[in-house]
Amino acid sequence: MGRTLLCDVLHPVNWSLFWGELVSGLTLGSIYALIALGYTMVYGILKLLNFAHGDVYMVGAFIGFFALQWLGGPLDTVVTGWVAVAVMFLVAMLGCGALGVGIEIFAYRPLRNAPRIAPLISALGVSIFLQNSALLLWGPDFRSYDTFNLVGVKSYSIGQNFFISNLQIFTIATSIALMGVLTLLIARTRTGKAMRATSFDREAAEMMGISVDRVISFTFFVGSALAAAGGVMFGLVFGQIFSLMGFTAGLKGFTAAVVGGIGSIPGAMLGGFLIGLTEAFATGYLPGGSTYANLYVFALLIAMFLVRPSGLLGSPVIQKV
Amino acid sequence: MRRRATATAALLALAALAIVAAASAKADRAAAPSAQAGNAAALVKCGKTRSIGLMAPFTGPAASIGTDQVAWAQYYQRTYNATHKTKIKFVNEDTQLGAANGTAESVKGAQALASNRSVLGVVGPAGSNEVKATTGALKGAGLAFVSGSATNTQITLDGARTGYFFRTVPPDSSQSVTVSAFIASKLNAKHVYIVDDQEAYSTGLADEVQTQLRAKNITVGRDGVSQQQSDFSAIINKIPRDVDVIYLPWQLPPKGQAFGQQMKSLGRGSVKLMGSDGLFDPAFAGLGSNVYDSFFPVNPADKRVKAFARLHGGQTEFFGAPSYVAAQVVSAAIDRACKNGTASRAEVRAQIRKTKISKKTSLLGLAVAFDRHGDMVKKPFGVYHSVNGVFVRVG
Repeated sequence: MGRTLLCDVLHPVNWSLFWGELVSGLTLGSIYALIALGYTMVYGILKLLNFAHGDVYMVGAFIGFFALQWLGGPLDTVVTGWVAVAVMFLVAMLGCGALGVGIEIFAYRPLRNAPRIAPLISALGVSIFLQNSALLLWGPDFRSYDTFNLVGVKSYSIGQNFFISNLQIFTIATSIALMGVLTLLIARTRTGKAMRATSFDREAAEMMGISVDRVISFTFFVGSALAAAGGVMFGLVFGQIFSLMGFTAGLKGFTAAVVGGIGSIPGAMLGGFLIGLTEAFATGYLPGGSTYANLYVFALLIAMFLVRPSGLLGSPVIQKV
Repeated sequence: MRRRATATAALLALAALAIVAAASAKADRAAAPSAQAGNAAALVKCGKTRSIGLMAPFTGPAASIGTDQVAWAQYYQRTYNATHKTKIKFVNEDTQLGAANGTAESVKGAQALASNRSVLGVVGPAGSNEVKATTGALKGAGLAFVSGSATNTQITLDGARTGYFFRTVPPDSSQSVTVSAFIASKLNAKHVYIVDDQEAYSTGLADEVQTQLRAKNITVGRDGVSQQQSDFSAIINKIPRDVDVIYLPWQLPPKGQAFGQQMKSLGRGSVKLMGSDGLFDPAFAGLGSNVYDSFFPVNPADKRVKAFARLHGGQTEFFGAPSYVAAQVVSAAIDRACKNGTASRAEVRAQIRKTKISKKTSLLGLAVAFDRHGDMVKKPFGVYHSVNGVFVRVG
């Protein structure tokens, strides 16, 4: 009996399982990639690990939830389901963008010229502050987005045994679109140019007339807005949000950024998808996979540090001696 | 010369400090057990109002079942206080079952009750893990604790809390027999998949059901998820297509609901889901008619059950009903112990052991008395089916 089950899982051409895990991994990876982008953008510009970023993602999920309630709740929205989803994204992204700017102004800017450990400790403090504020304000209970009633979840079958839901398609497509917009923003706009210049050499950028403070604030705004989008997506796909959801997701996003090469935007995207896929395929194929999925994810991080410390797409830092 | 004198003085000071430290440590060691023993044996003047500890997940992931338990316990308090000259008062402790810091919160609550000398007995805690975690504090202070939902078989049989811990729900050994018989004979399943949530309650129950199903020649697959997990899609993909029933012995209804919703969104909405008592909640029942659950016996015809429903807007959820009985057991024991005007925690424990609630007066529809392990002598389980989002008893 046990052997039959093992064969089901390990059969080399179990395409149903393979495609299922691929879609699950890409869905989860899309959310990790959005979080990782915030980590990598801030690191690229300030060389700061913003450990509060996971909690900004949690706040985004809650802002989305309250926006939905403001619209009448999932059963009685004053607009159609997908319009409500668009409003949730917009409100959460704007709210978290503002929160990110506030965090930068109050917690990091005064420490910009302090030793590097100071803003790191400040980031940890902000993370704990946000977590506990959420617990105080919203309690530790789960909140449900009730996506089934909000937009009506549909699953599409391709072939006999492969299913994909409209929410999974929406999540993957939306995050790829957001990443595309970010790439265009950085590569094609004046603000993007200013961001690249600030990242390359902050002092030189300042001397060339770039308002570094404004660029840094904008970077925090964009990174936090992307994390908020990730938070709303999580609520839509997995149905529920809670005050402590930012901790693990933040760690995974950070891992994704490091695996992809911290400071590299395409690296963060790649790292996010890689972490999501590792988690899904580990659950599907490895012994005790669902129990130890996190173990496999963080083992990947350690392996990456050992083999390629600068990450997949990161470039080694050359220091003038 | 002066340096030598300073060094000698410093050495003497260090020696004195060491002696004081050693003496105070010894005093602490000696004081701890006697203080605990003192709490257990200390006679408390009963007075008009008697204090009972109430440990439940008032908040946290399991708050939906916790608030139900609290509502039933408070309903008992209300009826008792309205019909007796003496009154009972609950000292509430939130255990936050299922939260990341849940176990620590339950221990903190137990310590607070242990040090509150007016508390003579405790109703709760809710989870089997919490029962294990709080045993040290409650037993150390001589407090009896009566749970209305901790069902892990071993917590009464391992001997770690015998004489202190009692429960007004049947153990998993009864639940597993009922569940596996229902899955085999009523649902006619040939292939079952069990997903535990890696907690003591869940793995214990899953192990028992797995063994019994295999003994009935049913193919059983097994996996586990974390209580903190929200994405179940990867594990759902892994569940073979020919599985007839998925058994979820979980504690957190919102997680059960998320699992069911993700099953639907991945085109597996028709697979039957069987939950355990921890998922007996509208959130799980609302998933649809493919949902079944096992639950404690409750007599819906009992006038107190009907009155409770009337008081709570027609609510027919009974998860907290055994907590009513737990409060009834503790308060009756305190009343008997207080007959001479004073009572100790040890006397209350002795009275709880002698509990006898007849079938006629029992809310559960069966007589309540405890065996030497602290389990109820009679321990049947019921099976329920979700019909229009409400659980209806079918077995």
